[in-house]
Amino acid sequence: MQILILLLQIAMLLAIVLLHVAYLTYFERKIIGHMQVRMGPMRVGWHGLLQPIADGIKSFFKEDIIPQQADKPLFLAAPIICLVTMLAALAVLPFAEGWVLADINIGLLFIFAMSSLASYGIILAGWASNSKYTFLGGMRSMAQVISYEIPMGLSLVGVMMLSGSLNLSEIVAAQGTSIFSIYLFPQIIGFFVFFIAMLAETNRVPFDLPEAETELVSGYITEYSGMRYALFFMAEYIGMMVIASIGTICFLGGWNGPFAIPFFPPFWFILKVYGFLFVFIWIRATLPRYRYDQLMALGWKLLIPLALLNIFLTGLLKVLVR
Amino acid sequence: MKVQYKAKRNLLETILQVEILQGLALTLRKLFSRPITRQYPDEKPPMYAGFRGQHALVRDPVTNDSKCIGCMRCATVCPSRCIHIKTHPGDSGQRLIDQYAIDVLRCVFCGYCVEVCPVGAITMTEVFEYASYDREAIYFDQEILLANWDRFLEQTGYDDTYVNPFWRPRGGLESRLPAAMRRDVPADWTIEGQFVGTKIRQPPACKLITDTEAAHD
Repeated sequence: MQILILLLQIAMLLAIVLLHVAYLTYFERKIIGHMQVRMGPMRVGWHGLLQPIADGIKSFFKEDIIPQQADKPLFLAAPIICLVTMLAALAVLPFAEGWVLADINIGLLFIFAMSSLASYGIILAGWASNSKYTFLGGMRSMAQVISYEIPMGLSLVGVMMLSGSLNLSEIVAAQGTSIFSIYLFPQIIGFFVFFIAMLAETNRVPFDLPEAETELVSGYITEYSGMRYALFFMAEYIGMMVIASIGTICFLGGWNGPFAIPFFPPFWFILKVYGFLFVFIWIRATLPRYRYDQLMALGWKLLIPLALLNIFLTGLLKVLVR
Repeated sequence: MKVQYKAKRNLLETILQVEILQGLALTLRKLFSRPITRQYPDEKPPMYAGFRGQHALVRDPVTNDSKCIGCMRCATVCPSRCIHIKTHPGDSGQRLIDQYAIDVLRCVFCGYCVEVCPVGAITMTEVFEYASYDREAIYFDQEILLANWDRFLEQTGYDDTYVNPFWRPRGGLESRLPAAMRRDVPADWTIEGQFVGTKIRQPPACKLITDTEAAHD
């Protein structure tokens, strides 16, 4: 019986998240369109509101092409690895008090593990497609994710030190309900490092080198088509949502807001996550892509020292306050 | 020589990355601006004089047929050789048209045929939506070209004096234009008022040679 309820909850979470992913693409196209003085999708439904559904149907019925020279089992497995790991990361996210599928004590570590595994899928996709563009995309992704996992992890060490826990619900609880007690203020350096590393982790502009359209066609997803392409797309957007949720939980006080919303406790959480996603899109509409050596220099020479400094300062603060 | 590529920034500007913030401010401002998109099939673009659209043969109200005299000037001047004319001599030595066809898929829409026609028989209308799924439908023979003209007059409300100012050969003397091109036109259609690029032509700095002065030479 318990398993049945859990399965039902999982199905509900999946359905809701996938719906959000679909409309996140709409949100993105509309915002970027208006920022570029265009309109974005306008044709399907009122102001293009049914566009994501049309896109979904289209990619579902499109021909699925597997290149002749591809490593077939890996080629088929890669998008599934990407999507499954990203979906697994959703399990530990607390959307509100008690609204969490798996309230495990190593939540933050689990998320790191899953987002690293997702890049494994990307590398496999790049390798298995047997094409120079996908291979270069996969290689770039590997180097980028390895470089940016470190500042990302280090930037959250400060949060772990302050809250004394890796459990995401406890991190939120430790920040208190007041808007002034969220970790954004004591961890401003950590937030800065986290924010940049977050863009790089999700392969978003200005760090979208793994799928740099101008040089690599479409990077690691060049050889994919139809629903398999859509799986990568979904994985990328779920990844964005997961990372935005982590940012919300660790720095912006999770589901706590200025006042409680009756009947719908995750209101503030969703609002903050969408704030993050808006910034993602806003940055995409504004910035050009980093050069590869600049990307590496930023990660290793600026973000890691900054994150280490942040850990030191946090430790100092903790000692002094105590 | 040392080239300074970047403007100097002070420490605060470096930390805050002011250039990125300026860029973000610009995109945020543009988010609330009015899109310049024209929703095309619902909202048609404005048509300007001199638009070189679908070809048409002007229907002569007297003979109820094409004005074409078969002089072959359009077929000769056509750079893409897409006008196919066949004639046979009539009783009094005039040419009678057997076939007048334009292969629009080869046409480059230069408008030379319209400019060169001495009787104003061929013209280009403002119609631009005539795409088709088969090639035969865009190979215009005489009947289709005449029908194009009828449909154009019906849709736009022009009468058969429709002469586009852009197609009057520019800079020449009025008297040397063929008779069909010499018909009365509004003041802004005359040589001085003709369209040059997107601007209406300004009165020239040098004096124009008028017809009377040309007669003196």
